[in-house]
Amino acid sequence: MAKMSMKQRYSALTRDLSWEPSYVRPETMFPYTSFEGIKIHDWSKWEDPFRLTVDAYTKYQAEKDRRLYAVLDGFAQSQGHLSLSEARYLNAMKLFLQGVTPLEYQAHRNFSFLARHLNGAGPRFAALCQSIDELRHAQTEIHTLSNYNRYYSGLHAFNTMHDRVWYLSVPKSYFDDAVSAGPFEFLIAIGFSFEYLLTNLLFVPFMSGASFNGDLPSMTFGFSAQSDESRHMTLGLEAIKFLLEQDEANVPIVQDWIDKWFWRGYRLTSLIAAMLDYMLPKKVMSWKESFELYFERQMLDGLFPDLAYYGIKPPRHVQHAVAEKDYLSHQVQWVLYQFSFAAAFTTTVPEPAELDWLSEKYPDSFDRLYRPLWDKAKRIQDDGGRFFFQGLPQLCQTCQVPMLFTEPGDPTTICQRSSEYQGEHYNFCSDGCKWIFDREPEKYVQAWLPVHQIFQGNCGGPTVPEVLAWYGIQDGDNGEYLGSVDNQNWIGWHAGAGVKTTTVGG
Amino acid sequence: MSVRAIGEYSFPSRSRQELYGQDQLVHVLWRHNPTMGAAACFRAPRAMRFGDFVHAMVEPWAASDPDFDPATVTDWQLEGEAIEPKDDETLADLGVEHKFLLSFTTGRA
Repeated sequence: MAKMSMKQRYSALTRDLSWEPSYVRPETMFPYTSFEGIKIHDWSKWEDPFRLTVDAYTKYQAEKDRRLYAVLDGFAQSQGHLSLSEARYLNAMKLFLQGVTPLEYQAHRNFSFLARHLNGAGPRFAALCQSIDELRHAQTEIHTLSNYNRYYSGLHAFNTMHDRVWYLSVPKSYFDDAVSAGPFEFLIAIGFSFEYLLTNLLFVPFMSGASFNGDLPSMTFGFSAQSDESRHMTLGLEAIKFLLEQDEANVPIVQDWIDKWFWRGYRLTSLIAAMLDYMLPKKVMSWKESFELYFERQMLDGLFPDLAYYGIKPPRHVQHAVAEKDYLSHQVQWVLYQFSFAAAFTTTVPEPAELDWLSEKYPDSFDRLYRPLWDKAKRIQDDGGRFFFQGLPQLCQTCQVPMLFTEPGDPTTICQRSSEYQGEHYNFCSDGCKWIFDREPEKYVQAWLPVHQIFQGNCGGPTVPEVLAWYGIQDGDNGEYLGSVDNQNWIGWHAGAGVKTTTVGG
Repeated sequence: MSVRAIGEYSFPSRSRQELYGQDQLVHVLWRHNPTMGAAACFRAPRAMRFGDFVHAMVEPWAASDPDFDPATVTDWQLEGEAIEPKDDETLADLGVEHKFLLSFTTGRA
């Protein structure tokens, strides 16, 4: 037989392996693709821009893995961790490992569900590839960061922490919301909103942060994932265009999902905002700059005019997000600072040069609103104290972030919204989160809110030490950075000739 | 609009009042004090007297801010409406329900 062309080969190895059911009805074989109200008339219209086959895919990924693991070995053997910008840089990576890596695994699971349950052979295969990518990302992230676990605190129980710790309920509940939706909503939630609309805001800060702060392994992981991510972005865009082109009745459904998942994802990125402006000792760009470039310019100015052709409008509440860009990172970090006694990362007052950098990047807000707070924290610290919030915070029922966000246009008034549903009162941080709840209250009444669970006695006990033990947080994982185990070790490793290590984990 | 689901979709609230017995959750916001990054959440008996609630729960929390002076606490609001609570009124008497928001200022604008 003559050698097949790429196109023939692709067809033979993917769509030709599919079949039309003859003795069951299609609805029996694919029971999940009608209840959401989405109408698909012709699954074959799904385009596969990459034309991957399993053999090509695995060969390519194996090569990337070989390169990554060679870097990991070299870095470990040469004590590469000693050339990080500073030990506290790893707070960003602790947040990544605890908050993002478990989401990769969840994405793997749900894309593998789509790989079985979408009617079309094209999208099934694309979902299969993405499912394997996500599993590989979870594994390689764990391997990449596990090298630091020998020397630094906060990295030893990321999976338990993801399921239990208060700030990690933000990413966990976000993804639980997506995987408990139908397959089409999941495609818009994760395939489109997460992997396309917000992907650069979510991932570039971590990977550029790694590159600027001497974290060669994480940077190499980032490059290794980049080609996958561009494939995921294409899948997300293909998914939304496919749904919009199949039937006009799909347009309002998709618009609703964009509105919901933009705001859900945007609230999730508030943790990234704090990370970018405060956790990186060597700064890359400010949150505001990142938001303007990756969201306002690329998405609002670039993508949405294209989607207008289908009748899609920019996401509801997007103007609130734009209005917050001068305040968001500062408000979030200030809360992380005062609650870090219960976190698996440390915080500290920014150094003078960092405060000046923040003044320069936020001329309209930093000196007026936030520098005075850090000055006060410094004063307390100079007097031998440390400012912590002696209690538990009010949480938003939808995003689960402590209710720290302010009224649109008034950065000095905490925003409070509420709804009554079946005789019970629910609190929200914003119009966006209230709108999401009011749309599907049956879903969000089930929220596992960490503060409420502690008060119900479900988190190890009523005292802070009992809750921290249940969280898996050990001495040195949490609290103030200055004087912490990581800080002391760092100083010891870089002073004089001998390398002295304090025990990690208390 | 409600959840579109493959079957019946009805689940109880995971924070409903009955899970707290005779108690309820009460939120307290210190208005216009940027030091406290969010309102606090307390578990308090519905029959707790307001004065006891303030002294036993609100003041120790507010003292996280070293500038706090209990004598300056003023302008109480319940769900955004001004109230004038008396120390011996219970939270239930005041109309404080599960997960409601009380707030105060300390005279700073």
